[in-house]
Amino acid sequence: MRPPPPAPGAELSVLVDIGSAWTKASVIGRSRGRWRIAAHAAQPTSWDERELWRTLAAHLAAGADRRLHERLERLVAEAPRIECHTPRRPARLALAAVSRDISGAAARRAAESAGWVVEEVASMDDDRSLAARLGALQSAGVDAWLVSGGFDDAHSEQALEMAALVAAARRGGETPVIWAGSARLGAEVGRLFEPAPVSLVANPRPSPDRSEPTALRHHLEALLQEMIEPGGSIHLAPISFRRAIAALAETAALRILGIDIGARYANWVVADSDGSAESRIFASGGLSSPTLTGPGGPARLTRLIPQSIDELAVADALQNLRARPGTVPQTEEELAVTHGALRALLAQMAVDETPRGVDLIIGGGRTLASIPNPGLAAQLLLDGLRPLGVTQLAIDPSGALGPLGSLDDVEIGEGIATVRDDLIVPLGTSIVCRGGRAGQVAMRVTVHRTGWPEVGPVEVRSGSVQILPLGRGQTADVEITLDGDASLGTPRRTRHVRTSVQGGSVGLVLDARDVPLVVPRRSDDRRSVQAAWRDVFLREPMQAPGRVE
Amino acid sequence: MNGVVHRIAIPRGAALRVEVGDLVKPDQLLAVNRAPGHAVTVDVAGRLGRSAATAGELLEAHPGSRLEAGSVIARSPQGAVVSAPVAGLLVGYSPSDGTALLAPLGEELPVIGHVSGRVLAVHDGAIDVEVRGAQLVGVGGTGEAVHGELVVAVHDPGEELRAAAIDVGATGKILVGGSRASAETLTRARAMGVAGIVLGGVLDKELRDFEAIQRRRREIGGLAGSFGLVLLEGFGKVGFDPQLFDWFRRHAGHLASIFGAQHRVYVYDAAAPPRRTPQPAVGDRVIAHRRPFQGRGGVLVAVLDDLHATPSGLVTRMALVRFEDGRLAPVPLANLESTARASER
Repeated sequence: MRPPPPAPGAELSVLVDIGSAWTKASVIGRSRGRWRIAAHAAQPTSWDERELWRTLAAHLAAGADRRLHERLERLVAEAPRIECHTPRRPARLALAAVSRDISGAAARRAAESAGWVVEEVASMDDDRSLAARLGALQSAGVDAWLVSGGFDDAHSEQALEMAALVAAARRGGETPVIWAGSARLGAEVGRLFEPAPVSLVANPRPSPDRSEPTALRHHLEALLQEMIEPGGSIHLAPISFRRAIAALAETAALRILGIDIGARYANWVVADSDGSAESRIFASGGLSSPTLTGPGGPARLTRLIPQSIDELAVADALQNLRARPGTVPQTEEELAVTHGALRALLAQMAVDETPRGVDLIIGGGRTLASIPNPGLAAQLLLDGLRPLGVTQLAIDPSGALGPLGSLDDVEIGEGIATVRDDLIVPLGTSIVCRGGRAGQVAMRVTVHRTGWPEVGPVEVRSGSVQILPLGRGQTADVEITLDGDASLGTPRRTRHVRTSVQGGSVGLVLDARDVPLVVPRRSDDRRSVQAAWRDVFLREPMQAPGRVE
Repeated sequence: MNGVVHRIAIPRGAALRVEVGDLVKPDQLLAVNRAPGHAVTVDVAGRLGRSAATAGELLEAHPGSRLEAGSVIARSPQGAVVSAPVAGLLVGYSPSDGTALLAPLGEELPVIGHVSGRVLAVHDGAIDVEVRGAQLVGVGGTGEAVHGELVVAVHDPGEELRAAAIDVGATGKILVGGSRASAETLTRARAMGVAGIVLGGVLDKELRDFEAIQRRRREIGGLAGSFGLVLLEGFGKVGFDPQLFDWFRRHAGHLASIFGAQHRVYVYDAAAPPRRTPQPAVGDRVIAHRRPFQGRGGVLVAVLDDLHATPSGLVTRMALVRFEDGRLAPVPLANLESTARASER
């Protein structure tokens, strides 16, 4: 009697990113000896997890052995799981500083980019009486106190006064205190809080012309991890995303900017080819950001939308997006508002951290990943970030980078290499120039590809954008000649640049719309210009006139 | 009845008047707080006959110490003493001029919780109260914590709350409005002494205008009393779910509390409100949350296989909903919540 044939099985792993609004999951399976991302799905985090397994199983069924169909859901549910998640709650701090715009601004930026929510700010110049300031600090419900002020070479009495004010408001509580002010005052500040310990951190504004927020940011990041998720920080999405981008930069030998915009958090990571990475975590930088719905927010955002939508509707749509982040924009207008919000958030982050010298930009987060058209994704990245020079663009459509970054140090590189071909979707390369005279040619671009006719020179006028076809996996050499005062941001004002570019689902984007983006003041003119730009990104790239050598 | 835990912020340094296990009422005094007033300067170095720097080392009280009149602030080895001229909070000491800042504490101000329930825990800066009532969590709101008797002020869940509907009979009450209220209506309600309003929807612009009016009135000192507003369904003109509106009608006359900033409503001695759950199933009564069907109720007829594109172009799970006006329309499943009466669960 012959033994029954072995039951078919499947080698699967599941990558899961549990966000505050959406959970994204991908199934990695082995197919013909190679590991691939075989399926991915997303659903509101409030839904039952079993629905996610059902959806993934349904996606897998199309390509799976028929004998497995009935077992697919169970196989997915029981597969090894690599998971990351958004911090369960934000950490809040109260900030006391001498000046709102100098020491206060530097400390606040450091705190917000380390993932903290600044609940209360008291400063000597906040137009409140001492009593009102003290009262506000006494009522603040916070997880930590941050005090800042005074330059390092000065003995600032005002900084000491602010520290004493916090000591008076805190009244011996147990919440930690961080002194990030004048280095000369550390010991005196420490005495104010005795017997409680005070953490002394390097001054983020050591002199009037210097800003050094890194040490404070790192200290606050460590404190936040200790408070929110002691021992499990690599599974926190902002941390794991940074680790994944760092590993990817090292593997690809590129300087990479990774941006992940979620419902609550936004994450900005710049990683170098040696694997080092710096990140900024914006606890209120996601699509529910109060900067979008606050005073002036809807009006500013209305200017970024090519469609004619009145400000009242934009304001309501933004509030609904904030209140119900797990929902989906059903109408074109609501999607336009969501994309406008994304642009505004990207631009806001780029103000502090200009993406200079970056070889590749990777956009992550549900809104970018679910975009119906790759051209639109490229436009959002370019409109928001304005990366001067030559930069590759890509998106993380399955949200797999975060979970992969939660692997142990020795496994991350291997994990990324395993599914490298499916991990990110290249959109192409952008060439963005600054300056140029309105309506005049800003740059001329000629594209050379071995075995193909030469394309160009393509003239790109100032204020316009063009896309040339260059598919995924294709590379080309380009010659760029800059006209007038147009510049690619290179250190020397080079007029001729030769470089190599990679293709993608969008192609080669030639963008002479200036940095920052310049739009007409009149609303009708502005909308028609924005609509023309959108049409360029949405239509198939046109083959520019070429000549055969 | 299920209790929910409500956290009440208590200013640091306030004296508590309740203990764990106490039953509290909405207008009950939970603590008294003496807010610091304008600080007075005490010349420490001068009175000790020391330099400002050395006098700092002789301080016996730290910033944050609450001092009675006559309490010692600093003492020299020779026995010279600097004491507090008035009772207050020591705010700090200036090593440059050798003075201490003492903030006299003002009159005792009551800390009222505006909730009814049992004190569950006391923390640094907060009290947890287990609320004996039904809780509704909204999507927006503004204003202070208030409590009052619940009054339904519109006839229909989709009706707009008009200024003319608010008269002196509404003073001290919490009004349940409909799909919208203008800034003018909200301003009138506040002026008439209405404690608070619960709405289905409101335009973000109207809410901002109302808040700006309140801010200006506060700046010129013309604002008295507290007022809160909670928005339950969404921004824009959005009616109540009819089941929820019926529930409010059945509980008219009950005591309620609203917390505008926390988007929360409690109704005491109330049956559980219609329960909202995500991921509805076929046959469920549902409510839609995004345009073009925001705030409309209906029945989920089918969940479509595979993913489908919405009119925005996004591809997602779609469901077919038979809305109450008879229209059958596809809606992203993520935009629907099932809503069921307590008795249907």
